[in-house]
Amino acid sequence: MIVASWLGGWRRVWQASGMALGLHGLTFLLALPFALLVRDQIAGQLGSSLAAGAVADGVNNDWWREFTAQATGLGATFTPSIIGFASTLDTVSRVLDARYPPTALMWLLGGYLTLWTFLSGGILDRYARQRPTHAHGFFSASGRLFFRLARLTALGGLVYWLLFRYVHPWLFLDVWRDVTRGLGVERTAFIWRLVFYLLFGIVLLKINLVFDYARIRLVVEDRRSALGALRASLQFLWRHPLDITALYALDGAGFVLLLALWSVAAPGVYGAGLAMWLAFAAGQLYLLARLAIKLHFLASQTALFQSHLAHASYTAAPAPAWPESPAAELITR
Amino acid sequence: MRRPVLLSIVIGAVLIAAADRAGGQQQAPPAALPRGGVQAFDQPLPDALSPRNASYDIAVRLDPARKEIKGRETIRWRNISAAPTNELQFHLYWNAWRNEDSTWLREDRLRAPAPARSRDAVRRPDETGASDVTSIKVTPAGGAASDLTSTIRYLAPDDGNAADRTVMAVTLPAAVGPGGSVQIDIEWTGRIPFAAARTGWIADYFFFGQWFPKIGVLEDTGWNTHQFHAATEFYADFGIYDVQMTVPGGYKVGATGREMRRVDNADGTTTHSYHADDVADFGWTTSPSFVEERRAFNHPKLPSVEMRLLLRPEHRGQETRQFAAAAAALEYYGQWFGAYPYGNITIVDPADQSNSDGMEYPMIFTGRANWLSPAQVATPDSTVTHETGHQWWYGVVATNEFENGWMDEGFNTWATARVLEETRRSNLIAVRTFGGFIPYTLNVPLSREVDGNRMPGYRPDAKSDAQTTPTFRYWPGSANAITYAKTALWMHTLERHLGWPTMQKVMATYFDRWKFRHPRPQDFFQVVNEVSGQDLTWFFDQVVRTSNTFDYAVQELKQEPSSQGRTRAVVVAQRLGEATFPVDVVTTFADGQQATEHWDGKDRRVVYTYDRPARVTRVEIDPGHVLLLDLNRTNNSRTTQPRAAEAARKWSLAWMVWLQELMITSGIFG
Repeated sequence: MIVASWLGGWRRVWQASGMALGLHGLTFLLALPFALLVRDQIAGQLGSSLAAGAVADGVNNDWWREFTAQATGLGATFTPSIIGFASTLDTVSRVLDARYPPTALMWLLGGYLTLWTFLSGGILDRYARQRPTHAHGFFSASGRLFFRLARLTALGGLVYWLLFRYVHPWLFLDVWRDVTRGLGVERTAFIWRLVFYLLFGIVLLKINLVFDYARIRLVVEDRRSALGALRASLQFLWRHPLDITALYALDGAGFVLLLALWSVAAPGVYGAGLAMWLAFAAGQLYLLARLAIKLHFLASQTALFQSHLAHASYTAAPAPAWPESPAAELITR
Repeated sequence: MRRPVLLSIVIGAVLIAAADRAGGQQQAPPAALPRGGVQAFDQPLPDALSPRNASYDIAVRLDPARKEIKGRETIRWRNISAAPTNELQFHLYWNAWRNEDSTWLREDRLRAPAPARSRDAVRRPDETGASDVTSIKVTPAGGAASDLTSTIRYLAPDDGNAADRTVMAVTLPAAVGPGGSVQIDIEWTGRIPFAAARTGWIADYFFFGQWFPKIGVLEDTGWNTHQFHAATEFYADFGIYDVQMTVPGGYKVGATGREMRRVDNADGTTTHSYHADDVADFGWTTSPSFVEERRAFNHPKLPSVEMRLLLRPEHRGQETRQFAAAAAALEYYGQWFGAYPYGNITIVDPADQSNSDGMEYPMIFTGRANWLSPAQVATPDSTVTHETGHQWWYGVVATNEFENGWMDEGFNTWATARVLEETRRSNLIAVRTFGGFIPYTLNVPLSREVDGNRMPGYRPDAKSDAQTTPTFRYWPGSANAITYAKTALWMHTLERHLGWPTMQKVMATYFDRWKFRHPRPQDFFQVVNEVSGQDLTWFFDQVVRTSNTFDYAVQELKQEPSSQGRTRAVVVAQRLGEATFPVDVVTTFADGQQATEHWDGKDRRVVYTYDRPARVTRVEIDPGHVLLLDLNRTNNSRTTQPRAAEAARKWSLAWMVWLQELMITSGIFG
């Protein structure tokens, strides 16, 4: 059942590969204006300087130090940790160490999460039905489910806020300080850190699982109540802990494998011109793979949930049709 | 006669060998002290390297369970100033952690308020430190001992802080005139602080810095005994140290000087006796966990040095790097400035979180190592080189670090960066993630000019203080920028301005002239002027006596056709900073010709006009990068073929991938 769900998840992602591409396009379009702003900051700081040559051909840390000393807002995030695989380590480490991005990016990330909430209705609906819903069906489901999912996301936001506002500092400041206070061996401190990451990670992933299955049950069973979906999710997790955990581990292994591959393939420092575009393309391919894996988590979990129902492709809501209103039909005529 | 002599020698040798071998059967004499009389110290021996006017015999016993030491010391002190004194002043540095209102802790809170829930902000009662003098007796030359314990009082010469007890004074029954000497017998107990400011304990590791009652420095103008400050270090006279440290058996000891004797005591402790000549301080460390390694430093032109490394077991495998880094300093500093005078040196690899990393004491210092230290990254190497270098700038040339900290920290930062450059050691950036534990090396080299001289630290605090301000009065939060970085930058600037051969001669002369003495800034300036044959007062006026900053820029490059196909070009160079420095303005033309203008850099602007057959392709101010203090290097040049768009496009695309990944990762919350 677990392997079948895992394979079924990949099949669903593959059959609806346009969604991965669409999501990738979304991140691209959202990031682009910010990247243009950073580009302008860099170009403005370099001006007609000769320093630009070295910066274009490779990397010039002396210039970089000067730039970051003067940069504010978005420019302040332009540090060497954006290079190659350091970028991946930095972003994952940010989550586990609760390092918040600068305010300028918080708005972007908030917007992205809102859009994701909107799209996740259509995505889950498509994965649950296992047949093309086309754009009209996809967006119809997205719109129909948005406010329900938004309520669920708001609840999730509250839980994550409590987790990062209270649990993380308690664990990584108070408990960490007490546990490592007398430690004179860095390696031992690191082992403790790993234990803390593990503990925090388990809590984080458990919460993720609860909200993932709440979304799935909300969509598949056409639930109206976010709280009801949460309760149903908890019941499902309670009844099938091994299946759910095993599938999550299998999905997680795919994520780790991708990171391992990217750690080898990620381009480091390169010149402008063709190398720049190749590196950018490699980065986009990696991001596409990240999104595919993210979608696979949802698809495989949907498959697992449906496999526990009487009908493996059951969805409660009728196939979405849009536009539905008479007024819109009039427009069509 | 010959036989009895030979017999005596043989018997003596056998007895000594037996005593060495059967050390465990000897009784420790932790309380035994006086050696020689006061008169013997009235004048140093003719071959003494230093004045030896503050010599110590110390016996100290460590109680690791109670985190306490008990000690007795005899100080033989001679007044080498021109003024008489009717009191004696002492440093009791560990009292900096006696209460929350000490000057050190007050300043430390100003420097960087500890995060509310950090270890530093939550100091437990058993983590405080203290030095309590329980008895002090003074014996003048040829006189009787006076018990001055009841006259003990605490001074706060720098800020009048009544809660600070880091300076102690006693009133003498009779003044000690110039050339006069006294013997001071002190008994004290010390509560060892928990991992604070390069001293203290953590786990089974102890590092003892500034741990004993230390007499201040009497100058012609009076006592120079500053309180312990958060951003400054120390100042002391030279002397001979004989120190007996009694620690639990099995604990390894490293200390200033050379181990002369080791005795296992009946109570399971071991007494280690160290001796050092011509040093101004004494530091030591002990831990049962140390792994001991030894290597010899040999060089055809320099005296050999026995290097000893006390390594943490988890850092096994890094010994070669640490020895190589120390050897590099011994070699290059030795050749450039003067030979290391002591014959042995101990490198201590400190415990994690000990706060004792990167600290220098005569003949012993702590490095800084991480469990994961990529080979291409210059840590721990740079720290070991730097702290070895302090043997020259601090250890031998002993400046007053309270007032002129930049004279050793800054000089040494400059010299360390020069050694790293000379050794051509790989020095790449490591991004540290996951709580700082996991390094990821990027193929981004760090330069001597910027990172070696710590320019990134200087930039934001460039105007925070002038170096003529006594270091202990620097703003605590930015003191390091002025002490370390600014000095390294202007020393490197001076090196490029004078040329390395002259600069090397300057520093060698300075070292030779001021070794085992206490030079002041003016003494250094005088050597520079004398050796270089130039009056560089204008330079020191800029970099030492003000907090002004340097920034030169190309303001404008205009070109228009003139007659007969020629081009008329106008170049405007601008001074944006308040400080001035002579710079070259080099204009390059399309035909490869160059015009070099030597601008004194004083006016706000200078205009150069050219009428040439070729157009200008680029203008550069200070193309040789002599002025390393220039805060904004990017605006120093202008080209007619700018590549900023290319560079910005490339890096913004890389940044965009990072941002997209951040978005996808944050999707975990949606």
